This record gives sequence, C-alpha cells and structure tokens, in this order.
Amino acid sequence: MCQNPNEHPLNPSHFEGSSEEKQTAHEVEGGFAAYTQGMKFFDPHVHMTSRTTDDYQALADAGVVAIIEPAFWLGQPRTGLASFKDYFASLVGWERFRSSQFGIKHYCTIGLNSREANNEALAEEVMEILPLFLQKEGVVGVGEIGFDDQTAAEEKYYRAQLELAKEMGLPVQVHTPHRDKKKGTERSMSIALEHGLAPNMVVIDHNNEETVKSVLDQGFYAAFTIYPFTKMGNERMVEIVKQYGSERIMVNSAADWGISDPLAIPKTAALMKIKGIAEADIVKVTYQNALDSFAQSGQIKEQDFINGLEIDQSLKFNGNTVLRGGQAPRVDKNSIFIR
Amino acid sequence: MHLASPTEQIWLEEKLQGDAKGLSLAFVMAPRFIAKKPIDVAIDLIPGWKSENGTLDQLIRIYIILHLAEKEDGHSRIETLFDTAEMNELVALYRALPLVKNPEIWLHRATDAVRSNMGPVFDAIAFGNPYASSYFTELAWNQLVLKCIFNDKPIHLIEGLDERANQALANTLADFAHERWAAGRRVPSQVWRLIRHFETESKKQDIQRLAQSADPNDQKAAELLNHHSPLEDWKVLEQAEPIYSA
Repeated sequence: MCQNPNEHPLNPSHFEGSSEEKQTAHEVEGGFAAYTQGMKFFDPHVHMTSRTTDDYQALADAGVVAIIEPAFWLGQPRTGLASFKDYFASLVGWERFRSSQFGIKHYCTIGLNSREANNEALAEEVMEILPLFLQKEGVVGVGEIGFDDQTAAEEKYYRAQLELAKEMGLPVQVHTPHRDKKKGTERSMSIALEHGLAPNMVVIDHNNEETVKSVLDQGFYAAFTIYPFTKMGNERMVEIVKQYGSERIMVNSAADWGISDPLAIPKTAALMKIKGIAEADIVKVTYQNALDSFAQSGQIKEQDFINGLEIDQSLKFNGNTVLRGGQAPRVDKNSIFIR
Repeated sequence: MHLASPTEQIWLEEKLQGDAKGLSLAFVMAPRFIAKKPIDVAIDLIPGWKSENGTLDQLIRIYIILHLAEKEDGHSRIETLFDTAEMNELVALYRALPLVKNPEIWLHRATDAVRSNMGPVFDAIAFGNPYASSYFTELAWNQLVLKCIFNDKPIHLIEGLDERANQALANTLADFAHERWAAGRRVPSQVWRLIRHFETESKKQDIQRLAQSADPNDQKAAELLNHHSPLEDWKVLEQAEPIYSA
C-alpha cells in the first residue's frame, strides 16, 4: 500500500558500489532486460487488479512466470460485505483469467486488510466468508494482514486470521506498517509466534535495513518491496543481499494503484547481476524463495507454469489451445496504426 | 466411478453422506483430494453432454452438485457457490446445469456465462453442453452464437448449433459479416452454414463476394451455399480456420 509520496522525502542514496558499477548501472538503465535474458521470476506480491494489460504484457516479456495477488485495500474503503465478496471472487476468477491470457500463472492470498479491520461491524461479516475463499484452488495463503495504525481492532482481526491460517495449514503474508515500522514488525512476529505459527509459514513483508535482521534471526521469511519513495529502492536491496545472503529473503513489487513498478523484480535481478551477486542467489531471491514459502499451501505446482501455461491440460478443450479463451494478441506499441 | 482411485472414491463417498453445507465445502475442496486427470472416455449421461474435455476433479464436482441440488437448501447453496466461484468452479457449475433437477430454473445463471469474459466459463456453457440449446430463448441463443463468432471461437462445437439456426440469427450474421468486411476483417467460412436455410436481403451478393474471395475456404462456402449442400458437406470447413489453431 502506497502513501502519498509527497509526504515523504526520497529514499536517501544507499548506493555503495564502486564508481565502475555506478557507471554500468547508469548505462543499463534503459536496457536492463539484456541482463536477465532467460531468467524466470516469481512476484509474490502484486495487485494486478489495479494495473493494465500493458503491465501484464511487460511482466510476461520480462520473464515473470507466476504472481501472487494479495487481497488489499483498494484505495477506497468498502462499505458492504458484497463488495468484499465480489473482490475476493474476482481475485480467484476474472483476474486469474486475465493473467492467464498473458501466460502468467496467477495465485492469490485472501484476507481482511488492516485498514478495513477498523470497521468492526463489516470486519465481522468479512471474517464469516473468509474460510470459504481460503479453501479455494490457487489460494496460497492468508494475506495481506497485519497492522496499519496498530489499533486494537487491527490486532483482534490479525489474531483471528492467524488462527484461520493455522487451522487451514496456510502460509501468512504479513503487511508491516509504514509508520512505527520497527515496533509494528516486532509486534506482528511475536503475536504470530504466540499463536503457535511456525515462523517458516509466515512471510513478513515490506522489510528494510532496520527490520531484516530480527525477522531472519527468528526464522521468518523476509520479503522486501521494491517500491519508489515509500519502501525499498533496489540499490539498497542489493546491499541487503550482499550482507545477509539469499536464505529466506525474497523481493516483490507490491505494484498497485500508487506510483509503483511491476517490473521491480526483473530490474532488481539485473542490478544484482551487474553488482556481482551470484546467479544462484539471484534465483533464490527473485523466484525460488517465493515459490518455496507459498508452495507450503499445497496449492502451487511449478510444472503448471515453468514451461508456459499451455501445458495445463485442464485449460484445453479437445487439445485445442485456442479455446482456453484466447491468448491475448500482441500489439506493437510503437506502431502509429491501431488495427 | 472407476476413473477415481480407491482413496478418491473413499473421500467422495464420505463427502456424499454430508449435509448441504458439507457438500458445498466438498465442492470447493475437491481439487485438493481429486486429481486433475483428463477424462478421455465418453460418459453417456444425457444427449449432447460431452465428458471428454473435462478433468476428474471437475467431474466429481459435478457429481457433488447433483447431490447438493437434491437437498432442502441446495438451491441457495448452489447460488452461493456461483457467487463466490473461482474459474474452475464456474466451469463445473455450468457443466452441471443440464444434469440437475429442474434445469430451467438456472437460466439466469446460464445466460451470465455467455456474458462472461472468462474464456473457459463461456466454453463451459457453449461447448459439449446441451443446456443452451434446450433452455435458451431465441434471443439468448443468438447472443451465444454471435459471441462465439465475435471471440473467434469455433461454432461447430456449440451443441444444437444447426437445429437452432433461425431467421433472426441469419440476418444478424449477415450484418455482422458486412461490418467485418468493412473493417478489412472476415468471419470464419463455416459461419455461413447458419444461413443456408434462410433468405437474407444480401444473400446473393454475399455468396458472390465469397466466391470471389482469395480464401479457398470462403470459395468453398460459396459453393456449398450455391449447391444447397447438406450439413455433412460443411464439415470440411470445421477445422480449416487458422484463427482456431493459432
């Protein structure tokens, strides 16, 4: 979730590489894809509902083969249960299909986000319908849940949803607050442990330099959102991987309705390559760890997307791929003609 | 059900003993316990309902729906399943409609499937499923056929296609073809089989245009129309479209 970028100073530059690296990074800015040729990426946090088909096309071109869309705050509060229900249904229905047209496997996590947890009457109703959606095919966790303002109501529904996750054996995707982040992150983790969740079933999201050590030390997965202004920049991310390695660390774009970048993962991978991070570590941070953590839901099969979606027999009709609903046709964006 | 493994059969038999709520939940959870194994044998339930294109988990979901429909609050449970369905669930629900008791009460849902932009959902009501041809009004039927053509899908897979051809559809199809021609596009040649029994204002000119087309399939369509050829002769055009195999 993005805040108004004007309220925040730009990320200070943490670019600590050599001047040579700096030069290369500058030159490569427009053509990062040359550094990620043949690589495949898994974005475990992206809100495609708020994005256009151009973004899907760009994701596919950049090698993103699978994504997870967490349920979140849509930018405007919902006033009734029906809009939650329709939103959850669109995450498992329409958005999943839209994604498949671009050859990208779409999963989601379902949950009551922290902001709307503060509307308690509505929150109660949403809790009633969560179990139904959490058991759907392709729902790979409870998320994104956690704290925003760190109110009592937020805590109440965070706890209730942790219980749901435990009951259903699902991973949890924890949103950590923008404000008072360090305390909020610690609190999120200690509550998860208090409820008996195994730390490796919990992905703590939106980490930064200040939170990462404790998250990793306690055995949680640490996700980093590469998002301009309010979260991590990818130069800082490279330094984190240099310092902490690639174990249980993953990056995501959290691209949404704010100024964000759905290509954050491939761009970060390119930067890591330029800055000499081993390919095996890049793969872990941009693909494997996301896959391993959320595959604990039992709802992700790598073979369903690793060689393209075409091989999914259940989407075929008499072996005729066109009936999958039609791969979206390519449009040449540089052509003046629209046909 | 021999397609299922012994473990899958045990799971299903246990779930079928449950109440309406249990059956709803079993419907949702089926893929966690039942393999997505393609069904490659024909299962003869009702005429026009084709099993060959589905998977085992889908078939078992359909079976569960048939049981759920018999329960006292089965109807409202099924409505809820529709409202909250993910894509594969919708496919199973629409495939189940012609098999449940009182299929006609689900007409509002079935026409929603035609409006759906999700390819597999449209396919579930249109292809290998006799529901539309049995229960759709002429208007709804014509929308289904038109949408199929509009989305470049093969109309010959629509169950009851030729039996339900009608004058209004023939007129609309001719108009549609003219629009496409004006835009420098075309309609699949086999579409013309739907006007073979009907007169339209432009039929003569349309046949002429097809005959003069550079596309051999269009030429074939013109020939078939001119000779009042029987339906079997149109079969050669069924697989011929490049857009069907892109």
